[in-house]
Amino acid sequence: MANNGDSILEMYLYETNSLLEQLDNIMLTAEQADTLSQEDVNEIFRIMHTLKGSAAMMEFEPLMTLAHRIEDLFYLIREGTMEIIPEEDKPKLFNLLFKFIDYFRGQIENIESGAPLSNDIDSFVTIINTVIDKINGTGAKKEESSESSASSSETDGVGGYPYTLHIHLDEGCGMENLRAFMVVNDVKECCSDFVVEPEDVDDSSLAQTIAKDGFKLHFSTAVDRENAVKIIELMGFVKSFEQIDNNSVAAEEQAPKKDEETKKEEPVVVAEAEPKPEPVVDKPVQRTKKAAGTPIAAQKEAATQGHQIKQSLISVNLSKLDQLMAVVGEIVITEAMVTASPDLRGLEGVKLDNFNKSARQLRKLTDELQDISMSLRMVPVSGTFQKMRRIVRDMGQKLGRRARLTIIGEDTEIDKTIVDAISDPIMHIVRNSMDHGIEPDEKMRIAAGKDPEGEIILSAQNTGSEVIIKVEDDGGGVDTNAVLAKAIRQGLANPDAEYSQREIMNFLMMPGFSTNTEVTEFSGRGVGMDVVKKNIEAVSGVVQMTSEFGKGSCTTLKIPLTTAIMDGMEVAVGDSIFTIPIQNIRQSFKATKDDIIYDAMKGEMICKMDNFYPVLRLHNRYGLIPRAENTEDGIFVWVETSENSYCLFVDELLGEQQVVIKPLPSYLNTFGIKESGIVGCTILGDGNISLILDVSNLISSDSGYAMF
Amino acid sequence: MSDENMLFATEEQQANNKEQEVEEVATRKYLTFRTDNLLFGIEAEIVMEIITNYVVTCVPMVPSYVKGIINLRGQIIPLLDMRQRLNIEPIDTDCIIVINVNDVRIGILVDAVSQIIDIPVDTILPVPQHNAQKYVSGMCNMPDESGTMLVLDCSLLLAD
Repeated sequence: MANNGDSILEMYLYETNSLLEQLDNIMLTAEQADTLSQEDVNEIFRIMHTLKGSAAMMEFEPLMTLAHRIEDLFYLIREGTMEIIPEEDKPKLFNLLFKFIDYFRGQIENIESGAPLSNDIDSFVTIINTVIDKINGTGAKKEESSESSASSSETDGVGGYPYTLHIHLDEGCGMENLRAFMVVNDVKECCSDFVVEPEDVDDSSLAQTIAKDGFKLHFSTAVDRENAVKIIELMGFVKSFEQIDNNSVAAEEQAPKKDEETKKEEPVVVAEAEPKPEPVVDKPVQRTKKAAGTPIAAQKEAATQGHQIKQSLISVNLSKLDQLMAVVGEIVITEAMVTASPDLRGLEGVKLDNFNKSARQLRKLTDELQDISMSLRMVPVSGTFQKMRRIVRDMGQKLGRRARLTIIGEDTEIDKTIVDAISDPIMHIVRNSMDHGIEPDEKMRIAAGKDPEGEIILSAQNTGSEVIIKVEDDGGGVDTNAVLAKAIRQGLANPDAEYSQREIMNFLMMPGFSTNTEVTEFSGRGVGMDVVKKNIEAVSGVVQMTSEFGKGSCTTLKIPLTTAIMDGMEVAVGDSIFTIPIQNIRQSFKATKDDIIYDAMKGEMICKMDNFYPVLRLHNRYGLIPRAENTEDGIFVWVETSENSYCLFVDELLGEQQVVIKPLPSYLNTFGIKESGIVGCTILGDGNISLILDVSNLISSDSGYAMF
Repeated sequence: MSDENMLFATEEQQANNKEQEVEEVATRKYLTFRTDNLLFGIEAEIVMEIITNYVVTCVPMVPSYVKGIINLRGQIIPLLDMRQRLNIEPIDTDCIIVINVNDVRIGILVDAVSQIIDIPVDTILPVPQHNAQKYVSGMCNMPDESGTMLVLDCSLLLAD
């Protein structure tokens, strides 16, 4: 039972979060356009209504009250259109809604973490009330008219929903409230834009009323109502229903037909009085509606579009997908074990055509299975990207800078766990771009010959094996000299050493490093880029920062598509086999003894592409007995990570292989094995174990190189 | 049957049950194995299985008593060499006892496994303080007089 409650709560949180996101998007586009279209207003009204309803269901009183007040506000706006909001108050309205979204989000987070809800909504409600009062004041005339129309149509229609369907249920069918609720639910499937009267049909206290007087559905278009009629006709317990269009709005739209319509009403009422009348279909009205042409066609289109958005989705617990991935990983290994079984080697000369054919088929299927199971975990990055719009907007307003966010490739799909992991880093980077990148003064930008409005480009790209996410800004860029000076002051850099551009950029990602002199709301604590690096490396990604002083900077995140299965290069050292992630390998090459250059501390280096790179002999590092003692016998693998680049000397390359990463037994972690450059292990096709090297830890933890 | 009788019967049964329970607690199953002429016993409950002939993958940068890791049907299990853990010269052996201590699976490399034996709990005596072995929590004479068994405390074995 508790479990059940949890799943309802989960559903609520999911639904509310997605609604808030939707709201956020509407508001952001609306703010750019500086107005709310009638569609937007309707949408917001609907969202508020749902938020209110679900909050009431979960008994989150403050949330319900708040959503209710905003709903009231938008009811007024919908009645009077955006014109009732004075031009100078529009930003206030937008800010109010953004505040509302933030407050709601905060509360939802509280619920998620099990913290109690704060009941402090009074100030909020007061603000909303003043806005409502103001609207009522300015739009007094409009209000009067709409109120009068509301009162006149009290029984027959609701403002904005002129097409009414009055439904009566079979006498004595029992549980009228629930049956009415079923009708409402079914109608919801074909059209979402309608109002029910009484509002809470499923309230058991209303069962009597519904049994006696029936209940009403108010639609905004006749097409919606037609669809609803089709559904209701099929319901056994609906005794009769009548269609009424007598609202003033409909009258305005249909001025010439008005008489006909009002006339039409009477026979309908009469028909209703009969004991078992046939379902009444208001045919003449329908025909005239259809003849009205284009606007309705447009409506219909919108309705079908609304349908398309409703995809057939199911939500699955992530842990189940993890299990599936684990099993698929095992299958991939087992398949390799079977097809490369050592027993087959004894059968040389024997025809294995059928076996090979089946093996190929099996490989094809396992590959497919692996692809599908991986794609299950893929979600587009658009959600994460869209959130950044909000950050750019908020920070732009607070800092008084103008910047726009351009998003490229937001439909790129990446693993769910990675999406979660990159959300914070992207936020930090975008914040940095806003705070440090974009110039504080437009004049500075104009003087530099740039567009006065700054631009931040957020792009995602899938290269097949990894996802590249870039955050570019056209701001001031990084002053490398200032960074180096600061690094020296903080004791992170050696004042006598020469640093490359790239090494200097790496200082920016050190914990506690910040070039800001004071701590602000947004940055200056020096944790941002450190967090970025930590989070990205946790999903075995790489962070790169480049910048041109005065022109802007670019932060690139390279993340492998999935973390559970990766491409690795098997290398042998003595009797041991190690796996080097392919993504870290730049090149492998042979070299002779003469290519090696020694430094004062007997450290070895090698020159590649006009740069010197340290050499690390894996057997020395791990105290193994190598088969290739001489430089000429072994092979160099040039590896690279976000922070270092060096050459690894191994005995031989065994070949590339797709491997499933398995964590090392926790017992071994007590010996700090992770710090010594081994990140995990994998089972090879023959059942042996290969250790996966962590290229960045391998060299930085080596005492010989720690001096650098 | 009257209520009183039933009550009586139940009481008697309860008494019987208690006696049985006491008897059950009184003995404990131990798996005994030899390492360098020492006879050790591990509680049979924590023993998962006994395996031989496994390929051990060496792991660098760990103490010498950690022989490496093995692939036990897809599970990666670390392997401890009992001899080296006791600072005894290692010999070539491939008999591994896989144990599960507090959900940590680990293999122990021993010279040879002997038998599973029921030991009355009260015959297990504390180790004399002067001779206290690092990983031994008690000792007892074997019922068949074949020697003295040292009770291995596995959580101490895994601790640093």
